[in-house]
Order: sequence, then C-alpha cells, then structure tokens
Amino acid sequence: MMEQNTVQPHRSQEPTRSSGLLAFLWRRNIVSDVVQGIIVGGVLAFITFQIIAQTYVTKVNGWTTMLGCGQPGAGILMRGVCGDIFPGPINVPQEAMYWHTNKDDAGQTLSGHHDYIMHFPAGQLPPNDAFWSLTMGDTKNRFVPNPINRYSVSDRSGLLPNADGAVDIYIQNAAPAGHEFNWLPAPSGNFILRLRVYLPGSAILDGKYKVPPVVETR
Amino acid sequence: MKHKHLIIFGSVMVVAWVAGTFLFIFFWPHLVSNHFKRAILVKGFGDGPVPINTLYTESQKLFAEPLHTSLPHGSSNLATVGVNHDTLLTGGWLDLSKGPLVLHVPDFFGRYYSVQFTDPFDDDFAYVGTRTTGTQAGDYFITGPDWKGQVPSGMKQISSPDNSVLVLGRILVYSDSDLPTAYNLAKQIRLTPRGN
Repeated sequence: MMEQNTVQPHRSQEPTRSSGLLAFLWRRNIVSDVVQGIIVGGVLAFITFQIIAQTYVTKVNGWTTMLGCGQPGAGILMRGVCGDIFPGPINVPQEAMYWHTNKDDAGQTLSGHHDYIMHFPAGQLPPNDAFWSLTMGDTKNRFVPNPINRYSVSDRSGLLPNADGAVDIYIQNAAPAGHEFNWLPAPSGNFILRLRVYLPGSAILDGKYKVPPVVETR
Repeated sequence: MKHKHLIIFGSVMVVAWVAGTFLFIFFWPHLVSNHFKRAILVKGFGDGPVPINTLYTESQKLFAEPLHTSLPHGSSNLATVGVNHDTLLTGGWLDLSKGPLVLHVPDFFGRYYSVQFTDPFDDDFAYVGTRTTGTQAGDYFITGPDWKGQVPSGMKQISSPDNSVLVLGRILVYSDSDLPTAYNLAKQIRLTPRGN
C-alpha cells in the first residue's frame, strides 16, 4: 500500500495514460531509457557477431566453408564464429570438412524449377581417406522425398564416369534420361546442397582443392 | 539537462552493444552445446531421454527411412536434421565428476569411424577412431580434470578439461545392405563406469 501511494502521484503527472508497446517506446523515464538501450544494443551486438562470423567464412565457386573449427586453442573468437556458422559439435578439419550452398555459380538461388550439373574433371573428385558425399536438403535442412529414395550421391552410390573419366552429377527434380545413376533428386522448390569430405586429403586442408560450381543447364 | 534521456539511452546502448558482442562470441558455442545437452538428456532421439553416462545409437529405421520414421512427440529432431546419410550416429553426455568412465570400441576391421569428445564450449579435445587410434578394438579411460590416480593397464587415457563431455560417434555405412553390420558395430561402442 505504501508503495502504491508513492507511485500514484508520479503516474498522474504522465502526459498520456495509454499503455502497450507504443506507450513504452514513447514514454521517457530512466527505466525505459535503460531497457531500450539494452534491447537496441543487444540487437546490434547480434548483428555485429554475424558480420564478424561472415568474415571468417571461405567462399569458393559459391560454396561456403570454414577451416579450423573444433580445435582446442584456436581462440575465443574462432570458437564463437564456428559455433555460429556450424551450430553443432563440428569435427576438426583433419577429421571432416563441410561445404554448403544454396546458390549456383551465377549467384541464383538453387531451385527445382531448374536443372543443374556439378562437373568433376577426371581425378578431381574430393580427395579423402574415408568418404565423400553430396547430400540434398530442403530449405529447412531436411531430407527431400523422391521416387528412388536417394538422398545423396557419394563415393558409395555407384556414380558413372564419362568417357574421359570426369564425373557429372545431375541435380534436378525430374530424372535425367540416360543419367539416372548420377542423379541427385531435387525438390520442386528451393534447396541446399551439402558436401562432406571425411579424412580430407592435404589438397583440401591446404586450400588448394576447389569444389566445382553448381551450374544451371536449364 | 536537455537531452538527458537520449544520453542515458545512448550510453546504455553502446555499452550493451560492445559487451553483447563479446558475450555472443564467448557464450554462443556454450548455448549450442547446451542445446545438444538438452536434446540428449531431456528429449532423446525416439526412445526417451538418454541417461547420463550412456550412449544411444540412432535406430536403423531412422537411418534407412529418414522421411518415414516418425519420432514420438517431445523427441529431439537433431538426428533427423542436417541431412546425413553417410554415418550412423551414436552419442551421449558424460559427467566425470563421479569418477572416470571406460569407453570400449570393437574392432572395426578398417571401416571408417570416429568417436569425438567435445567440451561444453565446442572444442574437440580428443578422438578415438580410424584417424587417431586405428580401427582395432580398444579400451579408453576417460578422466575429468580433478582425477588423480593410476590408469588401468591396457587402457589409454583420455583426459578431459571439463567434467561435462559430449561424446559423438560416427560409423560409416557403405550401403543399405551394410546397415545391420554398421549398426551392430555401433552398438558395441560402450561406456562403463570404471572397474566394471
């Protein structure tokens, strides 16, 4: 009761009695100054964090990756950035490297409305001592239904090389006639591609290996 | 003072901006780690919560039919997002404050696998597996930062910087027909308290 009595006269001096968000934004007192300062500062801090993280990302042929995550002693900044770009218990680079993209080589968003090819020249499949895979995900990072229940193509999926030894991967919604073995089924809408290379070769770890671009063909 | 409110708002904002940026950088990996801790210890991956100091192996059905396997309400979807169709996952959360644990791995006969040990700030401080220890069977003695004593003979020590540890195993699956073999091997990765 004492408290109410002391607060009441102060309230009555306020120019308006409207409540809600607008009133909170416009009413000026020390509490609202501080609260708004914390909220706006917090949002700016999050944006700054994202911008810093992006400067650590490596982009090659439209693919996004990052070297040096998961390693103890890499520093607080590196650790924070890795947690943002790869939100999970990510492997150290010697164990596995990861790339992802939702854009083709021209910067257009990947979509099942178009057909794409990833062309690996002869001998240029990702070097590794364990396995590699290219996995299809929808925009929410989930598997994509398809008539042949194929969610990825990989070193184990029976890809057929061309006559010159190169390997083309057909990324599209409808089956590519004559190239079914090399078909990675896409959804009808937008999608994300994920490339994994486990026990990556030295060409990957020293940054010399370039993941081929995803090229639109239709 | 004419611009009192603007000055208060402005200075609080700048302080929150600078401090917040540092806090995000420092604590973000910990928030991510906590998300996984909760997924393991509270939600589980289809068979209820995974008790502390035990490992749970992703079901063969979930691996083979990721689109058609529905997890019970309240389960974590962490095993179904991230579109991994290469490795079976096995994982758990350790508490080493009550004493060391022993990780047993079977002979993987040259198959690729890894067991990753990650601290609550997302640093991978140790690995058991093809790259680091080879694919033969072995027993690993996992100790917390405060542990002192003798490592049992025949075991290698894995020294954790923290009593809280995320353990994540990945076992390569060669093909659909190989899935039962891979699963059987994954299930043989076991955690036991010291001495058992």
